[in-house]
Amino acid sequence: MSDTILALRKATKLYAGVPAIENVDFELRRGEIHALVGENGAGKSTLTKVMAGVVTLTSGTMEVDGVEAAPRTPLEARHLGIAMVFQENSLVPTMTVAQNLFLGQERFYNRLRGIYIAAQQFLQSLNFDVTPTATVGLLGAAKKQMVEIARAVLHEAKVIIFDEPTATLTPEEKKYFFDLVRDLKRRGVSIVFISHALEEALILADRITILRDGKHVVTDDAANFDRARIVQAMVGRDLSNTLYGSRKGSVRPAGTRVLTVQNLKMAPMVKNNSLSVFAGQITGVFGLVGAGRTETFKIVAGVLKRDFFHGGEVILHGKPVRYRVPAPAVRAGIAYVTEDRKVEGFFETMSVARNIYLGLLAKLPGGRFFLSGREAEKVGKSWVERLKVRATGNDIKVVELSGGNQQKVVIAKSLVQEPDLIIFDEPTRGVDVGAIVEIHELIQRLADEGKAVVMISSYLPEIMALSDRILVSRQGKVVEEFSALDATEEKIMYAAVH
Amino acid sequence: MIAALRTFADHLLGRGDATITVPSFDGALKPNQILEKAEIVGQFDAPEDLATDGKALYIADGNTVRRFDGTATTELRRFDRSITALCCLPDGGIAVALEGREVQVFTTPAAPSAAVTFSDPLMNAINALAPGPGKTLVATDGSTARPYRQWVHDLMERGRTGRVLVLDLASGSVRTVASGLRYAFGVCAAGSDLFVSESWRHRVIALSADGSPRTVLEHLPVYPSRLSPASGGFWLTAFAARTQLVEFVLRENAYRRRMMAEIDPEYWIAPKLKSGQSFLEPMQGAHIKTMGVVKPWAPPRSYGLVIRLDAGGVPLYALHSRVDGVNHGVVAAVEMDGSLFAIAKGPGHLLRVRLAMIEQELRA
Repeated sequence: MSDTILALRKATKLYAGVPAIENVDFELRRGEIHALVGENGAGKSTLTKVMAGVVTLTSGTMEVDGVEAAPRTPLEARHLGIAMVFQENSLVPTMTVAQNLFLGQERFYNRLRGIYIAAQQFLQSLNFDVTPTATVGLLGAAKKQMVEIARAVLHEAKVIIFDEPTATLTPEEKKYFFDLVRDLKRRGVSIVFISHALEEALILADRITILRDGKHVVTDDAANFDRARIVQAMVGRDLSNTLYGSRKGSVRPAGTRVLTVQNLKMAPMVKNNSLSVFAGQITGVFGLVGAGRTETFKIVAGVLKRDFFHGGEVILHGKPVRYRVPAPAVRAGIAYVTEDRKVEGFFETMSVARNIYLGLLAKLPGGRFFLSGREAEKVGKSWVERLKVRATGNDIKVVELSGGNQQKVVIAKSLVQEPDLIIFDEPTRGVDVGAIVEIHELIQRLADEGKAVVMISSYLPEIMALSDRILVSRQGKVVEEFSALDATEEKIMYAAVH
Repeated sequence: MIAALRTFADHLLGRGDATITVPSFDGALKPNQILEKAEIVGQFDAPEDLATDGKALYIADGNTVRRFDGTATTELRRFDRSITALCCLPDGGIAVALEGREVQVFTTPAAPSAAVTFSDPLMNAINALAPGPGKTLVATDGSTARPYRQWVHDLMERGRTGRVLVLDLASGSVRTVASGLRYAFGVCAAGSDLFVSESWRHRVIALSADGSPRTVLEHLPVYPSRLSPASGGFWLTAFAARTQLVEFVLRENAYRRRMMAEIDPEYWIAPKLKSGQSFLEPMQGAHIKTMGVVKPWAPPRSYGLVIRLDAGGVPLYALHSRVDGVNHGVVAAVEMDGSLFAIAKGPGHLLRVRLAMIEQELRA
């Protein structure tokens, strides 16, 4: 039996004549964990979608267990023993966890009770804290990801492909996930996983393949890589000093207090939360998933409502405010850049310029009766240039951009409103390394200009590299504050979990 | 009618004036232990206020003015009533407020008798003095309803009778420049304006020459008190921290009336200058200790705080004595010879913190 379970030779996939991957050679060994690393748009997702039967190759071949195969559907790939856990959830939101797990494996007569018991036992065996009877649509992102993973494991695949599996997981859940992946490896399952968190690739993978601009750059044992070498190979330039680089040597002094949150309550997520945000500083907000960070700032931005009775106070520029919808918050100078850009950030079938123009319209009371296409073009063009959005034209649809450029459009849509307080919620989640640097530079620039900047992030190096002051949130409230000068990862994590 | 309905709705929903919230100690007010670790240079029975002429420190202690030259304390002058405020004048004189009702001005600290005496019947609870523009003295009168020692009564009665007075040293006249303040407690000249602490509204306001107010600093998590000049700014003391429990009691009129009628003031649910003296003291239900760690949000009954403001009144940093400390009830602080001296009225301590040490601690 060959040591190689899956191989792609000279794999090329063209979209409208443009290569997403070009002459890529890839080999997956039996029982190995293989990390696939590259910037957004490097071709990682296309390569894995070929393996999973989501798309077919334009040219080149694919072999499974030494036999040439060309799965045309995910079902065909599953029959070949290949399963994929997608970045975007592929679960049915109106079904329960158990029903999703056994979707496609139903028998003629199904007893729900039996399905629930089997699902419960299976989830427990994976150490996943998910209720099988819960409706998937009501679950948080991390739990949905767990169900996705559980489904792939349940299908007893020989090859499991994870696309950004840890993006929404908490550190504890990540640990469980890593243990699970190692356990799968012990059982002889081969794993391909895509991750933007380079440390995960270094810790977890046996081998690492790096793609750039749709081409294969290098494949080597993980032990032969370090962070700098990966980044160098990914982007072809040295970013090690600019991306989560050295510790901050100085912090910006606090300006006037722009925002005060006093004893804010929104059951069950926000519990008596109090904090302040100052002009001319980046206030980093760290916490585990469920710490109430996003909810707190969504209340500030009028996206969510605080408790009806004794919900606490939000004070903007010294005046108590209570926004029931986001529009007045936008007009008051609050911009919220969402963590879930695909759902809340933009209209994906509208053009870049139109999306940015929408941000401007939101600032105008009552909107406008007539809309100016020329103005939309002008505004869009100016922000595309300012934020270096890499698009072939203003009329290109946002869905056609890479993750990093989509995020820049979401940011442009907020900045066009000229806010005083900008709340970035996970600004670089699912964004490639090159775009991360540019987004970080933008965030720093905003603080230098005197804006009050809030950056919510679950990624400690990002928090430590950018923030002037760091607030740690736990169980619905801020429990600790650090100056960036005396914060360490250990101190922050201790505050976040204890 | 609409206002009454709104008040009722606010009370029901916990909104507007009925909001029971307290800002957090964060940003420039981030807690530390600098005040708790400060050097104790003196222990007094009833320290109240501090003043300096740049050469020595003057301490109002009960009925007595004491002089501290950096090493030892000597008694300078004794009065028949307790001193409630003290300040040094630019021409070398000294002014004292007695029992909040009378202000005496001496040409030198050791002068045998007062050069000018102000005993206007308007004065009731003078709690801070500062040199004003020209030949004037500025005073804050906390309350016209309660004497100085009953400041907690004024808070519980939601007093709003505080005033700022200008005392003309040449003519001996007293002029009111601001009234209706919710306990004026601390004043300091800031250019052509006067910075005034308004304790029960947790803010500092600036009064212009014509008496019009402007908010300088608001939504403080503490009750601010006396102000003094610092190099390029001000020192602001706070004698207690706000808690949600006290804020709640302040909105429950019937409860408060009954508490004031039936319970010894020592055990009221109210801010105190020191705590932990008796099991009868009320506690606020919350986690003071979690996992063996005293958490910074543990609600204090008493607290010690000095805030450093810049010239515009923006807080730069703060010195704390937290819930587990003793240097609480800080009512006065002045800067002299590269050090900050502060009175922690709760334990009766005169504290000294070297400014270089503060910078070092805050940089660490």
